[in-house]
Amino acid sequence: MDLTTIGGQLLGTIPLGDIVLYLTPFNLFMFAGALAFTTLIAISRTETQVEAEFGTLKDKEVKVDLQEFKIRRFLAIVCGLATAGAMITGDLFNFTLFVTLIGIVNIGIVSAVRQVDVLNAAFQYGLIAMMASLPLFGGAAIILASTGTLSLLELVKIPYVTSMMTFGSLLLLMGIIGETGVAPFYATKAEMFRTPGSPFILIIHLSSLLVIVRAIEVLLIINKPF
Amino acid sequence: MIVPEVVPQLVVSLYPVAIWVGIITGLIGLLGISYQKNDLSVLILTDIVGVAMLIIVAGVATDLAEALILPGLVVELAEIMAISEILISREIRKSKRSRKDLAPTSLSFNMEILETAPVFIAVILIAYGIFLSGFTGGAVAGGGILFYVLSKSARGLPVELFDGLAGVSGIAWVFWIVGFLLFFVGPGFWLLGLMLSAFGLLIKVASKVGLIGMLTREEFKKE
Repeated sequence: MDLTTIGGQLLGTIPLGDIVLYLTPFNLFMFAGALAFTTLIAISRTETQVEAEFGTLKDKEVKVDLQEFKIRRFLAIVCGLATAGAMITGDLFNFTLFVTLIGIVNIGIVSAVRQVDVLNAAFQYGLIAMMASLPLFGGAAIILASTGTLSLLELVKIPYVTSMMTFGSLLLLMGIIGETGVAPFYATKAEMFRTPGSPFILIIHLSSLLVIVRAIEVLLIINKPF
Repeated sequence: MIVPEVVPQLVVSLYPVAIWVGIITGLIGLLGISYQKNDLSVLILTDIVGVAMLIIVAGVATDLAEALILPGLVVELAEIMAISEILISREIRKSKRSRKDLAPTSLSFNMEILETAPVFIAVILIAYGIFLSGFTGGAVAGGGILFYVLSKSARGLPVELFDGLAGVSGIAWVFWIVGFLLFFVGPGFWLLGLMLSAFGLLIKVASKVGLIGMLTREEFKKE
């Protein structure tokens, strides 16, 4: 199986020493999607929520102050850029690093809301993300040990699949699920969508969706089922 | 064969052992987490899983594996710091206490060496650190700055110096990254890239260690 089976056609490569990026319509589409969403976040203003009260006409405005807003927007932009990087990279090493960066930034975005329930969820998500670094880095290391390379362009050329490669790629998938895949569940668990300044939380969903799609491509490239 | 011929067979046969040790260590850590009910203990036990990750990656023992170990270690540290911050701010929310009550008490060093040691040692350390350059040189030069800051003769430096040093550290970090990027984008300029990253890293590490020293000295003043 070659890259064109999943990615459409190979539009070209960007060689940077031994790090080679490859461009297919599949990658470029997700890269552009992540970048477009990041741009939207970078130019957006904070929302103001209005809490209504029964029986009276007193409505209370809930605002996010500028300092907290800036921190959260910055974290969301970093998360978007890391997602875009994970989409375009042609190297399992960089993919792993981008996924861990998304994981760390997600912890920051989730914990930016100063409420006990949300902080509880952030704590539990942080523990899961820390534990997931074992299968993530371990999987990448096992793939490196069993193939001798981490470049996806080189992995495609290997004609055989050993059971160690399959084991390593399954560990890698476990790690990716733990680092970013479960993040939306923890965001939902704490009902973060109703907390003030919540629109930035959507980047968690977008990043976990795009990273999982890309991870499936990586798994297919390593295991070559067809 | 992926492993080159020069590697002895004994070393190759150790790799499955390393994988097993890593996985078993990780399982022990997870078992501890599943029994534990205290949040702080859970956080500390999670670090065992991180150590197991380092064992599995270190088992590969190539330069690319070493490149995986460094970010792995940094990610572990960053996450454990972020989670402990979350834990602290949650406990503050719960107990309605201010942050000052939970802050660590000031250090009280009463060591004679801090008063009598010649500051000239700091100059030697910094000069040797610049001569070494790179990460090691940064650590040595930073040790020199730390020595100078801790000694009694350097009391009363202005607060603006903190921000200044942090800014210098950031700019030096950019030099390091630019030098690193040059290796990939323009391999012809490898010497320039090497020098940029070596001295960027020197200044960055030295100023970071120096900053730690200054923060410690501020703790001194609290007494």
